[in-house]
Amino acid sequence: MSLEVEIEKKVAGFQLAVEFATDAAPLGLLGPSGSGKSMTLRAIAGLETPDRGRIVLNGNVLFDSAQKINVPARERRMGLLFQNYALFPHLTVAENIAFGLQHVSDSEKKRRVAEQIAAAHLLGLVERYPAKLSGGEQQRVALARALATDPAALLLDEPFSALDTHLRGALERQLRETLATYRGSTLFVSHNLEEAYRVCEKIVVLANGKVAAQGPKEEIFRHPPTIEVARVTGCKNYSRARRLPDGSIEATDWACKLSVAQPFEKSPGHVAIRAHHIRVYPPDYFVAKTFRKNIFPCWLAAMTETPFRVTLDLRIGLAPSNSNDFHVQAEVFKQEWESFRSLPQPWAMELAAERLFLLPD
Amino acid sequence: MNWQAVLLSLKLAICVAGILLAVGMPIAYWITFSRWRLKFLVEAIVALPIVLPPTVLGYYILVGLGPRHFAGKMSQSLFGHTLPFTFGGLLIASVIYSLPFAVQPFAAGFESVDRRLIEAAWTLGASRLTTFLRVILPLSVAGAVTGVVLSFAHTIGEFGVVLMVGGNIPGVTRTVSIDIYDQVQAANYDAADQTAVILLLFSFFALALIYGTNRRALSLWRGFK
Repeated sequence: MSLEVEIEKKVAGFQLAVEFATDAAPLGLLGPSGSGKSMTLRAIAGLETPDRGRIVLNGNVLFDSAQKINVPARERRMGLLFQNYALFPHLTVAENIAFGLQHVSDSEKKRRVAEQIAAAHLLGLVERYPAKLSGGEQQRVALARALATDPAALLLDEPFSALDTHLRGALERQLRETLATYRGSTLFVSHNLEEAYRVCEKIVVLANGKVAAQGPKEEIFRHPPTIEVARVTGCKNYSRARRLPDGSIEATDWACKLSVAQPFEKSPGHVAIRAHHIRVYPPDYFVAKTFRKNIFPCWLAAMTETPFRVTLDLRIGLAPSNSNDFHVQAEVFKQEWESFRSLPQPWAMELAAERLFLLPD
Repeated sequence: MNWQAVLLSLKLAICVAGILLAVGMPIAYWITFSRWRLKFLVEAIVALPIVLPPTVLGYYILVGLGPRHFAGKMSQSLFGHTLPFTFGGLLIASVIYSLPFAVQPFAAGFESVDRRLIEAAWTLGASRLTTFLRVILPLSVAGAVTGVVLSFAHTIGEFGVVLMVGGNIPGVTRTVSIDIYDQVQAANYDAADQTAVILLLFSFFALALIYGTNRRALSLWRGFK
């Protein structure tokens, strides 16, 4: 099982130039909207024609601009799951699933439809029209319809984005089970990093139409190679940085000096830290632990609450003049927050050296 | 009440609607899905009969089908006579005159089909023809019905083009509208009245059918209260 993609396409104000390869393990295409994820998927499916490049699936050339090969979408055997599912509204669930089986015998068609209906838990719904299905059911029908044709590769375009949050968990589990038994290549397009992380083994990060990083998911989350990748993987705090003679760095946007765990070779660049890696302590901690490194006095500029956590917009070194005057966002659990919220500011903030990323420009 | 004229009008309208169903669908499909830069020129030509006075259109068709022009020479050598003042000539003129009334609703119907459904059909291995028959056409059935009924009703009611191209030959080109005109000219108001009522009722039911079908087509599968 292999899928090799190398395509370039220019459209008004946007240039796509991506190159990646995958095997049987699900590959996540992660990137913000407008990064070229959907266009890449459509090009692989044969719905867009790249200006240049090559698409090879299991050794079969589907597209090659040099050899003037462009296999039409209907012959590519790609199972494409559309973002809004694109179910045929005038056909029942069973008819939708059977749609791609027009060239197989009636008995084989029946068998395959029944198989998909059982696998997708759609038994009571076969005679329904899509308008009478819930979002989750529609998604299962769309996936069943794609799988019924026995596709050589599965292309999933943000399969959960149209669903209510409470449905996503169960459907995602079901999708992971389906993908575990599916034998072809899978591409999973998402802008949700946690979702991509759970579903995929390897991840390609797209930014502005280019591959910003690719590799095993743990690697990409632990060591994002560039600032775009750090951003896509959910990192919120950045500062310009330059190396100081003593080996530490100066974070110019945060107005502080930081010790770092890894040598910062390509100065200048950026330093970054994830919001949940920032620790905030009561003021006495600051006084008692001054011997620790990267501890700074900080003031609260603004605060937003979620059920279990709070996000604190914090300013280092000086009290903020308004609620937008902050350096970093820290995410802490409610119980921690309760321990220092009523104490006088400044509080103590730790930007632990081993949590800092150093990103060359 | 001139049943001969009514039957002739019905025959003409059925033929026109049938021909436009066959000819209008491909034209509408092309207009909807073509990416040609100069497509608007074709759209403008198709829409011409809407704005041209029927007499102008009829005049060109009359001259075009006459013995001095290509189409006229063709028919002369094929049928031994030219087309003006025959049922064939009237049919050709009516098809041209009603073309936009079929093509535009067809195209609007195709246009209303979500592109992603068409793309989904392709990725599921369907050919263009299968995609048309199983996805595009069923989802634009309202446009298809509208186009057929409009071209049918429009043909029943046409006057200027018929007079220019067909003249007024009983059983050959004297349609209902010409017949009413004739009766009024002869001060035969009772006969004109009867035929006019028939035409009025017919037009009403044709339009009611369009609106009724459009609603039903939607309610079949979108329909839950």
